[in-house]
Amino acid sequence: MSVTVRPAANAGPARLNIRKNINALSPAELANLRRAIKQAMELNDKRGFEYFAGWHGVPLGWCQHHDALFLPWHRAYLYWLELALQSQVAGVTLPWWDWSTAGTIPDVYTVAQADGVENVLAAGVAIKVFGAAPKAGWPTHTSRAPGHDIEEVPGPPYAKEWAYAMQASNYTDFSQRIWTVHDTVHVWLGGTIAQVDWAAYDPLFFAHHANIDRAWRIWQTAHPGADPPANVLGQSLQTDPALTVRATLDVRQLGYEYAGAESTVAGSA
Amino acid sequence: MQRWTSQALLLPPRASWQRADLEFEGVEHDGASFVLHVFLNNDSADETTPRIAASGYAGYLTVFAHGDCWGDVGHCDITEPVSAFDRRPPHPLVPFNATLEVSEALDALPEDTQQITVTTLAFNKAADTEGVLRFSELTLITYA
Repeated sequence: MSVTVRPAANAGPARLNIRKNINALSPAELANLRRAIKQAMELNDKRGFEYFAGWHGVPLGWCQHHDALFLPWHRAYLYWLELALQSQVAGVTLPWWDWSTAGTIPDVYTVAQADGVENVLAAGVAIKVFGAAPKAGWPTHTSRAPGHDIEEVPGPPYAKEWAYAMQASNYTDFSQRIWTVHDTVHVWLGGTIAQVDWAAYDPLFFAHHANIDRAWRIWQTAHPGADPPANVLGQSLQTDPALTVRATLDVRQLGYEYAGAESTVAGSA
Repeated sequence: MQRWTSQALLLPPRASWQRADLEFEGVEHDGASFVLHVFLNNDSADETTPRIAASGYAGYLTVFAHGDCWGDVGHCDITEPVSAFDRRPPHPLVPFNATLEVSEALDALPEDTQQITVTTLAFNKAADTEGVLRFSELTLITYA
């Protein structure tokens, strides 16, 4: 598969970034992820984490759910956020949380402290809505209550639901099946991540959605050409900047890929 | 918990279909997130009913919903395109269709079953769950 990218001036050949399972990150990669998010959280402008968090719910509300734009919109969303994080720490990528096999939230996202400081990946970080004064009733910090907000929500792992989605023979069925388990993960998690308005202020959101995006990538590989309906391919997705649905179809054109493992050694030069 | 039971839906003979879906049409998702447990031909199902085939249990759907409206007046009113040239995405609160495959649950019913009722139990975080599940129609779709 060819990859068309615009290399930076004086840059070497473009190389795809690899998104990995959160449990496969090296200590250095994990530290870089935390550093990128922490630095982005400290920026009160359009490079900052809070700005991107606000795309999904309060205050901008650009997300698409329960329709053919669900997968493309969230792929575009992760793409732009990942670039913003790479502007903080070169080469950092969004990891995925594989709730189809894992029975709970990864420890990386639950420990209170990491490297002797507050863990920015954990629940409890402050919610600072970009460009808006706080309103009465808004949550001030992210929260989770896995399995407790609504006890009747089945918990992970969601192996059966994942397999059912992968059995879909067309985009519409796949999209609907994967958004169904996507919804379940959000609602099982509880707290702010169970509400569209506030979900994306929690970094765990992006590990969840990287897994959704990975699911689409895996399904696409098994079903080449099974694209979203033709009438939405030219649709502009509401992000900053905008991307069309068509522009999101090939992750390699967006400069990344999913992998179970990556190992690099020096060349001969 | 909010309970709702449908009127009877006609079920074609088993030999005429390979897959069967229940489609909840026009599901509204502007309130609190919720989960829906679905039973077939068990109008008295409640939160104590075992979620097993023998109870008519057909599965669950979860809806990740938007929550309260934090915009100004009219912010969460669903708007239509203002013209044929309006290329903005659809309003985020446009109701959607939620599908639950019920093939296995139907197979667990007596062979001569010709119609089914659907009972839904909706749970959300709040104590008052009336009006949590709001939708326009329910359709049983079978595929040959």
